[in-house]
Amino acid sequence: MPRYAMVIDQSRCIGCMACVVACKRENDVPPEHYRTRVLEMVQGTFPDLTTEMRSELCNHCDKAPCVNICPTGASHHEEDGTVQIDRKKCVGCKACITSCPYNARHINKELGVADKCTFCQHRLIEGKKPACVATCVGGSRIFGDLDDPNSEISVLLRKTSHRVLKKSIGTGPNVYYINQYPTRS
Amino acid sequence: MAFSRRNFLKFAAMSAGGAVLADTPFISAEARAKAEGGNVKYVPTSCEMCFWKCGAIAKVVDGKVVKLEGNPYHPQSRGKLCARGQGGIGQLYDEDRLKHPMILEGKRGEGKYRKASWDEALDYVAKKMKAIAAKHGPEAIAMMSHGSSGDYITNVLKAMGSRNIAFPSFAQCKGIRDEAWLLTYGHKPGSSCEQVDLENSRVIVLIGTHLGENMHNSQNQEFAEAVGRGAKIICVDPRYSTAASKSSFWLPIKPGTDTALLLAWINIVISEELYDKEYVEKYTVGLEEVKEAVKKYTPEWAAQETELPMRQIIESVHELCRYAPNVVVHPGRHYSWYGNDTQRARAVAILNALLGTWGRKGGMWLPPKAKFAKFNDGAPAYPPASKPPLIRGDFPFAGGAGVTQVLRDATITGNPYPIKAWFVAGTNLMKALPNQEKTQDAIDNLDLLVAVDIMPTETVMLADVILPECTYLERHDGLYKIKTREAGVAIRQPAVEPMYETKPAWWIGSELCKKLGLDQYAVKGNGMDAWEGRMRRQAKAWGIDFDKLSKDTGYVTIPGSERPYITADNQPFFDTFSEKINLYSEALEEEGFDPVPQYEEVEQPPKDMFRLIYGRSPVHTFSRTINTQWLWELQKENEVWLNKKEAKRLGVKNGQYVRLENQDGMRCNKIKAKVTERIRHDCVYMVHGFGHNAPQMTRADGSGADDQKLITKYIEDPITGGTGMRVNFVKIIKEA
Amino acid sequence: MELSITGTNAITYPVVHVWDWRVAIYLFLGGLAGGLMTMSAINYLRPGKKCGPMQSVCCWQIPVLAPILLSIGLFFLWLDLERKLHGHLFYMTFKPLSPMSWGAWIVLIIYPLMILYALAALPDEVKVRIKNAFIKNTADALAPHLAKLAKFNLVFGVLLAIYTGILLSTFVARPLWNSAILPLLFLASGMSTGAAVMIIVAKNKEVKLFFTKLDIWLILGELLIIALLFYGHYTGDAAHQAAIMPFFNSSHDTFPYFLSIVTIGIVLPLAIVMKFLEVTGKHTDEVTGFGLFLMNSSAVLVLIGGAVIRFALVYAGQLSGYGYVMM
Ligand SMILES: Nc1nc2c(c(=O)[nH]1)N[C@H]1C(S)=C(S)[C@@H](COP(=O)(O)OP(=O)(O)OC[C@H]3O[C@@H](n4cnc5c(=O)[nH]c(N)nc54)[C@H](O)[C@@H]3O)O[C@H]1N2
Ligand SMILES: Nc1nc2c(c(=O)[nH]1)N[C@H]1C(S)=C(S)[C@@H](COP(=O)(O)OP(=O)(O)OC[C@H]3O[C@@H](n4cnc5c(=O)[nH]c(N)nc54)[C@H](O)[C@@H]3O)O[C@H]1N2
Ligand code: SF4
Ligand code: SF4
Ligand code: SF4
Ligand code: SF4
Ligand code: SF4
Ligand SMILES: [Mo]
Repeated sequence: MPRYAMVIDQSRCIGCMACVVACKRENDVPPEHYRTRVLEMVQGTFPDLTTEMRSELCNHCDKAPCVNICPTGASHHEEDGTVQIDRKKCVGCKACITSCPYNARHINKELGVADKCTFCQHRLIEGKKPACVATCVGGSRIFGDLDDPNSEISVLLRKTSHRVLKKSIGTGPNVYYINQYPTRS
Repeated sequence: MAFSRRNFLKFAAMSAGGAVLADTPFISAEARAKAEGGNVKYVPTSCEMCFWKCGAIAKVVDGKVVKLEGNPYHPQSRGKLCARGQGGIGQLYDEDRLKHPMILEGKRGEGKYRKASWDEALDYVAKKMKAIAAKHGPEAIAMMSHGSSGDYITNVLKAMGSRNIAFPSFAQCKGIRDEAWLLTYGHKPGSSCEQVDLENSRVIVLIGTHLGENMHNSQNQEFAEAVGRGAKIICVDPRYSTAASKSSFWLPIKPGTDTALLLAWINIVISEELYDKEYVEKYTVGLEEVKEAVKKYTPEWAAQETELPMRQIIESVHELCRYAPNVVVHPGRHYSWYGNDTQRARAVAILNALLGTWGRKGGMWLPPKAKFAKFNDGAPAYPPASKPPLIRGDFPFAGGAGVTQVLRDATITGNPYPIKAWFVAGTNLMKALPNQEKTQDAIDNLDLLVAVDIMPTETVMLADVILPECTYLERHDGLYKIKTREAGVAIRQPAVEPMYETKPAWWIGSELCKKLGLDQYAVKGNGMDAWEGRMRRQAKAWGIDFDKLSKDTGYVTIPGSERPYITADNQPFFDTFSEKINLYSEALEEEGFDPVPQYEEVEQPPKDMFRLIYGRSPVHTFSRTINTQWLWELQKENEVWLNKKEAKRLGVKNGQYVRLENQDGMRCNKIKAKVTERIRHDCVYMVHGFGHNAPQMTRADGSGADDQKLITKYIEDPITGGTGMRVNFVKIIKEA
Repeated sequence: MELSITGTNAITYPVVHVWDWRVAIYLFLGGLAGGLMTMSAINYLRPGKKCGPMQSVCCWQIPVLAPILLSIGLFFLWLDLERKLHGHLFYMTFKPLSPMSWGAWIVLIIYPLMILYALAALPDEVKVRIKNAFIKNTADALAPHLAKLAKFNLVFGVLLAIYTGILLSTFVARPLWNSAILPLLFLASGMSTGAAVMIIVAKNKEVKLFFTKLDIWLILGELLIIALLFYGHYTGDAAHQAAIMPFFNSSHDTFPYFLSIVTIGIVLPLAIVMKFLEVTGKHTDEVTGFGLFLMNSSAVLVLIGGAVIRFALVYAGQLSGYGYVMM
């Protein structure tokens, strides 16, 4: 069984938002709702400024609070390491939304169920990359299998220093961030 | 049209390795169709959410387009689409679209129309055209156009004997740059795309060119690739753009002084002998003259002029030279800035030549070598123009794409001869051309205004007759010659049938020809597949397998056309009189212009006013996507960027609504202030395209502000006719 | 820092607002129902009670009221569900790690306990009016087991009240809630509101006085726990510190929270003072009009305080978090 994860090279993100739209269309996310977002954070004073670009999505946490809290078992782990929502089982109690430290979930108002990034599981089954990864213009989103030592992400994670978001909360995220800012002079 | 299982397998076998396949949207079309239990097909076509024309693949389920993906075989998309390309479905299913032909009832601008059949609308147009041509001559019928749709209508005008056709992509965009490079290299710096080898560059200089926001797909892919690899970016921009945020050197230049910087750089490169001596010796003429002419442009002087630290000016160019020739000074695209822009483009071209970038890895690749047979499907040659066209005005180097505002002026004045009808296809003139009042005046002088468009824009709603085109996902268009490092051919074909009563532009043009008795210029054959038949014949003439193109790959390459770099047996050809790169331009000299660029100061804003500058949002294309649901959602209105200190001085808070008023007292819609460290104190910035005044575009109408409304002043570049549009000054008025 | 985010959801940005007054009401009524179970059991079981058999005199209405209030609370919780017709899904599985799941199942244990207790506690003059023979017979049959049922209710009342706090305290993502003290606060508050309702409903002066005295201790406990909760957060990490800020900031955005803490700070001590006056005052056997007013109005203050605590914590808890930008 694979163990899916995403690596995000922040230095390559150019804020094009192709991922955001691709995700919406691929997954029929209703208007004004999103499964992924892009942050642009600028610090400093003119003309000494630095920027961090960061795309975010569900971290498919190993110790996912959303799975723990879910009263019906709708939110669950799958063998491929992803966290998924079984729409048939969801009552829409929203506990999972409150419980996610990453604000990665929302309610699909059209269906009345909790919703979030699935790592595009339906595409993975067909051997395709997630929609956001496939169209990432900057090549910032990299997807793969952690259990395969030769996968692009395994290699990347060995070679670069990386981090996960809000590590101290202890959710064990599976979206890794690497940063290779060019040096500024 | 869809990918069949057989084609897929054949194709899968062709492509080497699994890497590409993993991303190939057409793999397992069948498996996916089965899994989804629906009726799925994949249609390769070309995106028209902007003019980069990426290869797209439409996933169609039960007759509805549900997803668009990038064609991995098309070099402009490489398996990816940008946000706008991904959002194209929103244009197709936009409920505000033009739905049927309409004829004006009552006065122009009141917006009262009656629904008409195509037959009636085209009859009406043809009758009027004939009357105008009879009275004033066919040249009184003019056209402004942008995008693929125009071609079929220009055909009608040319067949009638008018050549008064102009594209805003010339004088409001890249025409200036193209002419400057033609003067220097005998080549434009690119046709399908800029010939920049960003992927392999060690240093990339961006003058304005705001990659990341200027979202031309493959170019941004290469830019990010370069950044990821650690290439150095030198970004010259008064605003801390996305590209600036990726740069090693951000040069927050005083707006309008770029030529000073470029000339100082050229001076340093020559005087410190950092240029590529062998290359310059072999391929260029005029080094000595340039050396003389730029002597006075010292770094000290430039530092003062540009308000950049001298050290930064020197260090950045040293960095550039260190890695030359695997570097590039991006030729830019939108060039109509200050009215002296040809010379800035010339300076960029010269600097590239000195560094030896043309034909070098990481510099600029050589245009592909491919000849396409002439094909006009047996149509006779167009009759000669009845009168010389006006579209070049008095500008000696205005290109064939025409100078829009010259047509506009002639329409207003009636000199040298009257212009009485306009066709407007795929351009929103009210937004594209500076000085809206003039555009309105010209339109008021017309006997006939025909719009071929997909949306009820402010310009369309001024037309006498509205001819609704179907969107790019519902139509065929020409076979596209794609010139990237290699030459290739791409296709646009319908993913779904046209909705409502809309029709493809080729059909509109062809039917209009018939109504005008110009049948010999109409598309051969009848019915809606006539164009496909023409495409087949064209493919045959070009020696291309049409079935593979339309059913399999959506793009085919011309083998052997890719020769990007100079080698012993691949020498560059410069299509100039000297057959070399003209550092010194005799052609310019003959017309009385500086043969080597000289610095010209631009007017600075008076106290308490800011220069208005503008640019792109990565999720929108000018004004054409604002109403598109998925893109509108991401950015509903634009903001005006205002330096934090200035904001404090003015008492403007972040997020507060303000209005801008320009030097002529023109005010824009209310717009949110973005109070930021990211811009110089002397200018304010906004994204172009917002602030629609088009009530039928329910989402876009009135959201954000229109930069064009504030651009009442423009300065024409005397060489090419480009309209400098960054010459307006605004003050900020707080909303009560 | 200049931050811009593209692709946010209204439900979580700029702050989480997933749960609203419906959930606050549920938590309040749930705690109150728990309080009533425990308090009426205490009333029945306490030694030295002077009001005779419960069936006849001593606020038999309370055991009946408890399941009704819980039902109203659950009704509001149900109103909050996005898929109201799928409520049964709670009972298709038991998730031992999910406090929500526990809550769903606990209710199934508590309801029978409450109802049996209520039936057993029915006094004869009420029973004669019951038409349904089955209910009447069951009530008769249960009456001898009243003491046993009371003991169960005492324990499960505590569990129910404390559960409402445990539920919130498990949200690691919401620092304000994520404190082991929160269940204690909800327990104390549930019990004290329970006592308040006892005071209002009881006819017997002795009962009223007893719960008035008890409530003084419960409120003192509650105030102490509130102080501890804030102190715990104050000494916690940045996110916990930030979590209590709305309560101490009277700016426009956070004014409701500031107001809530002020309200609690006035209402509860005031209730204590009033109760103290009542307890230490001279008493005749009859309840004087003024004494009644004093007792009832202090009880109402306690109920207000309890509700404010739930509302404030439900809303402020969602404001708290680890931020959008924090690493
Ligand atoms: N998403 C998206 N992408 C697009 C388009 C679109 O509509 N949407 N349009 C496409 C088209 S047709 C074109 S022509 C291009 C245009 O895009 P570019 O060719 O990149 O346009 P520029 O005007 O060079 O760049 C705008 C930048 O110039 C900066 N600037 C303003 N004044 C000055 C100045 O005096 N000096 C310098 N150095 N910089 C200045 C602004 O701050 C802004 O960052 O974009 C293309 N790409
Ligand atoms: N102030 C200011 N002015 C500018 C610019 C700027 O940045 N600021 N940029 C300049 C530049 S670089 C350029 S290239 C021009 C661009 O100018 P335009 O090309 O005119 O750009 P848009 O405003 O997007 O108008 C496009 C029109 O085409 C229509 N359209 C879209 N798709 C189709 C289609 O498939 N068929 C048909 N028939 N119509 C279609 C849209 O509805 C819209 O009316 O503007 C120039 N003018
Ligand atoms: S990011 Fe949030 S929604 Fe995703 S697994 Fe972790 S806790 Fe659950
Ligand atoms: S909203 Fe649905 S997925 Fe989330 S916790 Fe409730 S039942 Fe589970
Ligand atoms: S993996 Fe799929 S669902 Fe998740 S953010 Fe990307 S496109 Fe959306
Ligand atoms: S598609 Fe890639 S580069 Fe573009 S915003 Fe998303 S993560 Fe960044
Ligand atoms: S760059 Fe984007 S909008 Fe333009 S053609 Fe390509 S995908 Fe379409
Ligand atoms: Mo352009």
